Amino acid sequence: MDNDLDAWFAADILCHEAALVQYLRRAWPHPDEVHDLRQEVYVRVYEAAGKARPHQPKSFLFATARHLMTDRLRRGRVVSIEPVGDFESLNVLIDECSPERRLGARQNLRRLAEAFDRLPERCREAVWLRRVEELPQKQVAQRMGITEKTVEKQIAKGMRLLAEHYFGGEAGGQDGAGMAALGRSRRSATDDEAQGHDGHGGKQGD
Amino acid sequence: MAASREIEDTAAQWLARRESGDWPAAAQAELEAWLARATAHRVAFVRLQAAWTQAARLRALAGADSGVPERLSWDEAAPARADAPADAAASPLRADALSFQVRPKPARASRWPYAAAAAVATLAVGLGWGWLHYGAVERSSYRTALGKTDEVALADGSHATLSSDSRIEVALSGAQRRVELAQGEAFFAVAKDPRRPFAVAAGARRVVAVGTHFSVRRDGADVRVVVTEGTVRLESEPVGGHPQPTTLLPAGSIALAGPNGVLVRSVPVEEAERYVDWRHGFLVFRDTPLAQAAAEFNRYSARKLVIADAAAGELRVGGNFRWSNAEMFVGLLEQAMPVKAERLPDRIVLRSR
Repeated sequence: MDNDLDAWFAADILCHEAALVQYLRRAWPHPDEVHDLRQEVYVRVYEAAGKARPHQPKSFLFATARHLMTDRLRRGRVVSIEPVGDFESLNVLIDECSPERRLGARQNLRRLAEAFDRLPERCREAVWLRRVEELPQKQVAQRMGITEKTVEKQIAKGMRLLAEHYFGGEAGGQDGAGMAALGRSRRSATDDEAQGHDGHGGKQGD
Repeated sequence: MAASREIEDTAAQWLARRESGDWPAAAQAELEAWLARATAHRVAFVRLQAAWTQAARLRALAGADSGVPERLSWDEAAPARADAPADAAASPLRADALSFQVRPKPARASRWPYAAAAAVATLAVGLGWGWLHYGAVERSSYRTALGKTDEVALADGSHATLSSDSRIEVALSGAQRRVELAQGEAFFAVAKDPRRPFAVAAGARRVVAVGTHFSVRRDGADVRVVVTEGTVRLESEPVGGHPQPTTLLPAGSIALAGPNGVLVRSVPVEEAERYVDWRHGFLVFRDTPLAQAAAEFNRYSARKLVIADAAAGELRVGGNFRWSNAEMFVGLLEQAMPVKAERLPDRIVLRSR
């Protein structure tokens, strides 16, 4: 176990997930492969960082994404020069600082709350009781009137969705239409703006 | 299920099990073995764990009497909003929305002076009415050179962005707003005014809106309309004495109007917006035949991309490119596709190899 590496990965890489996912979505012609690509990018970054920590994590992350897509193309799976495309045009490299630093703790908390609010009802309840109120699993089960096994399942599901919404931001949605719909359903324009910023932070600085 | 999702699923199960409180040493050993088996396992686990750790911070938002909070009930508890507006304004992604925001309408006739009112009231009112309804508020012509785009603010608060080598004729009055797209392509951010529809004429077609965002483009006899906000009406001149149906185009519509009729595609708004990315300097292709991509580049540059053979023209390309950098596009083509480029001073010839 390399806890140091894990911590670095969580702090300096995962915070760019929203931008990464958006980049992959934009550059890769098969949306259903984006999840796989993202994971593969993470694997490569993690393994490389195990040997030597990159100086500029975000640049390194996106360069890795680009190389991965190029590799897949070379293997002839897709006839498109898509990912080799004008990488520079996305301007993902302009902002090197991490969202943590840029957004500030409060906004980060808000984003967390929004991610939490997007969980399905039972999932949300289980996560709250277990993680925030720190009730023992048994009590959570009693409180919710379900079995412990089900609580565990809901927690597992909650973890996945929470990570998707929290790290992936809006880009974690299924597609553009979903994103737009979510944006509209928010309470106010201010929120939309704030969320839009959170979700797309480091991108496009024209 | 994709392999990555299966792994994530397993990682979540491990994590949930560890969190359940029932966690013997044997389970820890088993988890560590699973984590060591593949980096993919580890990164998925680290990621979920990081989010889970973060989730504990929600406590900071919980009220004194806790309990699961209502959805969207965070406002009172969370002081987070205070720093949002500044960030929103700085958001680069929203910059385009901001720059197209409707300006306040210029004040029209100010108050008629009382002194003269008695004598000329009738006449003045009559003239004023006539001016408001028929007089020109703006009559102007805008054009852009090859390789340039330009945004112009119109007198009614609307904005027009002209693509490369384009021309519009604007005639705004108190009663109507008319624009003729004489050449090229333009994007319109129309100021809302239900009493004065904003009509863009392009050849035999007319696009009518009251307060929306859309682009109109001419390609010979073809007209393309892309709607990114609101709804516009596409009208056509009668053909051979037969009136043509009017088409309503909601946001996310891409309409191609040719001599034989109108073809409408409905896509997510986000995708429709890619068609107007030229405003920000980009051309976006998705599985586009090279011949078509080259034609797009050629709208922006005097040094043309010429396709030498059909096979090359049929290659599919995708990606985001600066229209000002056709050279780079060609370089990438050579690198990734079976294409050879011959660079001449006035053109670049692309042929399959």
